[in-house]
Amino acid sequence: MKMHVDMAYRSLNKFGEELCGDKVVITRTDDSVIAVLADGLGSGVKANILSTLTSTIISTMLNEGATVEQAVETIVRTLPICNVRKLAYSTFSVLQIQENGEAYLVEFDNPACMFIRDGKLVELNPEYKEYSGKTVSESRFTVRPGDVIGLISDGVVYAGVGNLLNFGWSWENVAAWLTKATLKENSAPRLAVALSQAVNELYMEKPGDDSTVLIARVTPRVVVNMLAGPPKNKEDDARIVRDFMTSPGKRVVCGGTSANIVGRVLNRKVETSLQYIDPQIPPVGYIEGIDLVTEGVLTLSRTVDILKEYLSHEADAFYFHKLDDKNGAALLAKLLLESCTTLKVFIGTAINPAHQDPGLPSDLSIKLKLINELCSVMERLGKRVEKAFY
Amino acid sequence: MCIGSSCHLRGSRDVVQILERNIALNGLRDQIELKGSFCMGECKEGVCVSVDGKRFSVTPAETEAFFNREILGRLSI
Repeated sequence: MKMHVDMAYRSLNKFGEELCGDKVVITRTDDSVIAVLADGLGSGVKANILSTLTSTIISTMLNEGATVEQAVETIVRTLPICNVRKLAYSTFSVLQIQENGEAYLVEFDNPACMFIRDGKLVELNPEYKEYSGKTVSESRFTVRPGDVIGLISDGVVYAGVGNLLNFGWSWENVAAWLTKATLKENSAPRLAVALSQAVNELYMEKPGDDSTVLIARVTPRVVVNMLAGPPKNKEDDARIVRDFMTSPGKRVVCGGTSANIVGRVLNRKVETSLQYIDPQIPPVGYIEGIDLVTEGVLTLSRTVDILKEYLSHEADAFYFHKLDDKNGAALLAKLLLESCTTLKVFIGTAINPAHQDPGLPSDLSIKLKLINELCSVMERLGKRVEKAFY
Repeated sequence: MCIGSSCHLRGSRDVVQILERNIALNGLRDQIELKGSFCMGECKEGVCVSVDGKRFSVTPAETEAFFNREILGRLSI
């Protein structure tokens, strides 16, 4: 079975610092995903440079096929040396997961990775190797859908130290917390945000160190098919609907006219609700066999905003509260963010004459632009996107 | 009545609420069924409302008059 790895991370800056000394880089290749979490020595600018260099060098080199040994050696040799500590130093964790579920983990001085399966913490058996005088632990294991892997920087382990907690939160407690949380929250973004928030609370919102959490959650591949917009030529109506309906996965129709076309071609009723859950978002509709039917541009533009807000790394618990809302845009955003690994868009390129009225706000005429924006946001979220134009 | 993008921006939510209120005030809930529809292809000045197959364009300001004229008018026949 082909698997998808949903990754989400959150960083808290040390209180008073503008830059974070932890850095996460996630790269996706055709058949694997590589995540690097680096924690630079110290904090602020210096730490930020060290961790950025480390994570970028590692992910670029591994991506191009270099070995871990070569990557570690490169780092040891190239990192600038700290004037105060006479050290060039950044801890790191590298997690690579192949499409077939083979996972490879390399850790250097970061808190150990947390591997959770079926609500239980699973112990990994790392091998210790020495590269250029540094002891690095390597683990190989296999993941399956439902598994959660947490990588953290040491700021998380020390959360609350000397303040709320004498010795900080401790790895065991973080692991226990995360294990319990996986039973309740099942998406990587929610887990990352919840854990990061717990850390912030233990620090009483004044983190004593840069704290980063990276959550990887393994899911089976879930395709969401989205039909948006009527085709340019009316004769293509049947073709776009047929292609849309025969593609496996979930189905979403965006746009009133599109919904009517789908209803007509399939000879199914298009029902709409009159309930305005959010006054700015038109109500959703229903077609038998379609998972979600929404209005077009207004809904899409809000959906793009919701997803962008997530990417801006300002999402908190309140964000997920809004995401759980039942308006069309939130329903769509939630589906795309949490239950979608591949988005297939069937784009009709007809121009809606009703939207060309100069009296209307300009955002009505920009459907194609919106869909392109949605696709690029989805790619930034680590999802695969396929487009077909009609 | 239409709740498509274009009509939405022309105030279909307000029209829905005014109609719902008037239906309730007149105690007509069991005689009138109010249903939504995506774009009905009649994007004009107001919101497209179809009564027994006949189409009207209604702005929020005219809704009450429209209700009295077209809906109550029909029922009294």
